[in-house]
Amino acid sequence: MSILEVRGLRKTYGPITAVHDISFEVQAGEVFTIIGPNGAGKTTTLEMIEGLQEPDAGAITFDGLTWAKDAERIKFRIGVQPQSSAMFDLLTVEENLDLFATFYPKSRTTAEVLEMINLTEHKKKRVKALSGGQKQRLAIGLGMISDPEIIFLDEPTTGLDPQARRNIWDIILKLKTMGKTTILTTHYMEEAEKLSDRVCIVDQGRVVSLDTPAALIERLTKEREVRLTFQDGEEAAIATEQVAQNQPTVVRTAREGTTLQLWTVQPEETLYGVFGFTKERGYRVEQVSIREMSLEDVFIAFTGKEWRD
Amino acid sequence: MVSGGKQFRKMFGAHIKMMFREKQVWFWNIFFPIILMSIFMVIFGSGGSSDFKAKIAVVKTVQSQDVDRLLAQLHQIPVFEWKSEQPVPAAQADAWIRAKDIDAAIQLPGSGDVKTIRLIVNKETQFNATSQAVSGVLNQFIQQANMAAAGVQPAFRLDTSAISSGSQDLSYKDFLLTGMIAFSLAQGGLFGMVDLVEMRRKGLMKRLRMTPMRMGLYGLSSMLVRFVLGVFQILCLALIGVLGFGAHLHIHIPTLIAAFFIGSLAFNAIGYLISSFSKSLEAYMGVANIASFVMMFISGIFYPINNLPNWLLAVSHALPLTYFVEGLRDGMVYGSGMATADFWLGVAVLAAWGTVAYLLGSILYRRSKMTSS
Repeated sequence: MSILEVRGLRKTYGPITAVHDISFEVQAGEVFTIIGPNGAGKTTTLEMIEGLQEPDAGAITFDGLTWAKDAERIKFRIGVQPQSSAMFDLLTVEENLDLFATFYPKSRTTAEVLEMINLTEHKKKRVKALSGGQKQRLAIGLGMISDPEIIFLDEPTTGLDPQARRNIWDIILKLKTMGKTTILTTHYMEEAEKLSDRVCIVDQGRVVSLDTPAALIERLTKEREVRLTFQDGEEAAIATEQVAQNQPTVVRTAREGTTLQLWTVQPEETLYGVFGFTKERGYRVEQVSIREMSLEDVFIAFTGKEWRD
Repeated sequence: MVSGGKQFRKMFGAHIKMMFREKQVWFWNIFFPIILMSIFMVIFGSGGSSDFKAKIAVVKTVQSQDVDRLLAQLHQIPVFEWKSEQPVPAAQADAWIRAKDIDAAIQLPGSGDVKTIRLIVNKETQFNATSQAVSGVLNQFIQQANMAAAGVQPAFRLDTSAISSGSQDLSYKDFLLTGMIAFSLAQGGLFGMVDLVEMRRKGLMKRLRMTPMRMGLYGLSSMLVRFVLGVFQILCLALIGVLGFGAHLHIHIPTLIAAFFIGSLAFNAIGYLISSFSKSLEAYMGVANIASFVMMFISGIFYPINNLPNWLLAVSHALPLTYFVEGLRDGMVYGSGMATADFWLGVAVLAAWGTVAYLLGSILYRRSKMTSS
């Protein structure tokens, strides 16, 4: 059953189009992760879903509810942990949770949330005195106080040390066992792989790929990048690229000057065909290489961008 | 659903904690006005005219009956304190003046037709209040002496007395105390909205918009806490002014409450307006400081505005603090009550400032919310 449906979202700011066309469905109870390079439109997309911004086109429905008609009811059902840990610095952990609890018709007890985010010992501490990881856990706690069905976590682990990250993972997995739906963004592929049921890769305001982490990795590990550099100028590369594109084993191609890149699921077969062509034409190939794909390449393969900014 | 009342109580409690846990609030709203007031009280509030004393010595160069009579009359002047009861040589007087042991030396007339009385003061202190006052006193003395010598009875006499409409004993201390109370309340409003800028910068505004929190209740509880702070400010300053410096208050409660209420709202609205266009804490503080600085000197906080040149008086009459401080004085020292046209004019001007500032601020906030990405 899909609990959130996003259809054809679009958002422009003057001449800049931040989100071109984004559609996906999130199933109840799953951890749904959105990844993408900086400027891909992740934050804009999330803010539209969270009701902070109005899309120029497209529709967002939470279990049949829309922002236009049921804003308050949606707010009762979602919890948000924004990227900036926005809370009241002069209040203690407990006081922050107490205050947020009054905003909602039903809420979990503060003690219960403190236990879940493992801050019971620090409940009398003011936010100012918390470490980065503790602050982030409190931010998640504030998002959980209303016992929401859907919780949005926007880069909850960015800037945290490995132990603090692991603590956050535990919370996310706990939410999953409670049957909650989590929508997560992250910069860490490892995290996406470990936690997500499905991963949605976004680039330039569009969904590039959406699948389970295993399927995505499988798809990518099947692909190999083959790199050929020609001695006889660009036209050799251009002609070879055209031939390669017609091969069924080649997924994608790219060319820069005399260097040609091919992504193929069958490197052996692809090279056999390509070399047949170059021999026939008499093109001389200066360098040939086949690269193994790492997880980082998965991302680059889809977006053509570096993983981290 | 959590009832509005409970939500409001929680928000109020949280706002109280946040307000009084912030050291800056204590400093700028409580300690700073107290320090400023104490300094002004000590410098300007201590001397009534009867306390004025100038230390002098007299130099006599010749012996004559006229000179002795003058000397006897000079001894009658109460504000002169004599370094030496007897006349001293000129060289001794010069030395005392150089060492600032005395404020002035009076040289009695010598022989000759024109009888000149000379006043000798230190060049460094030539233009200070004491030298001026001694010179004034001496001038008057000479005039009287001349008239007496000519056998003329003065036709007119000046008798200066200050009055206030309600009480007989309005002093500079009362004026300054109420001025400082108005100033600190205005500061509280002008600077108090800086937390909105911080909330926006940290994304807390956005965060709260994602909850079903009622913004109206939030604003109301925050404003109520500002009133609590205001009452606290009035109490602190009034207690220190009355007990520490001997100021007198004639409080008319309804007038005081009305002036306090409308003034606090107006200055908080101005703070709100500043917060609506300030992107950073520094920008906010800059604007608030300029506003506070300008108003501090030309709104009649430290001295009455009648002394201002006309063009500046016109500026002063456009500023809200001018009316706020007058309104508070109506309720705290003048004892004139609310039934005066001036009081309601002040209320109207403050209400206009508050309304315009609030509306403008709201428009700017809405606009920035729409363009923020």
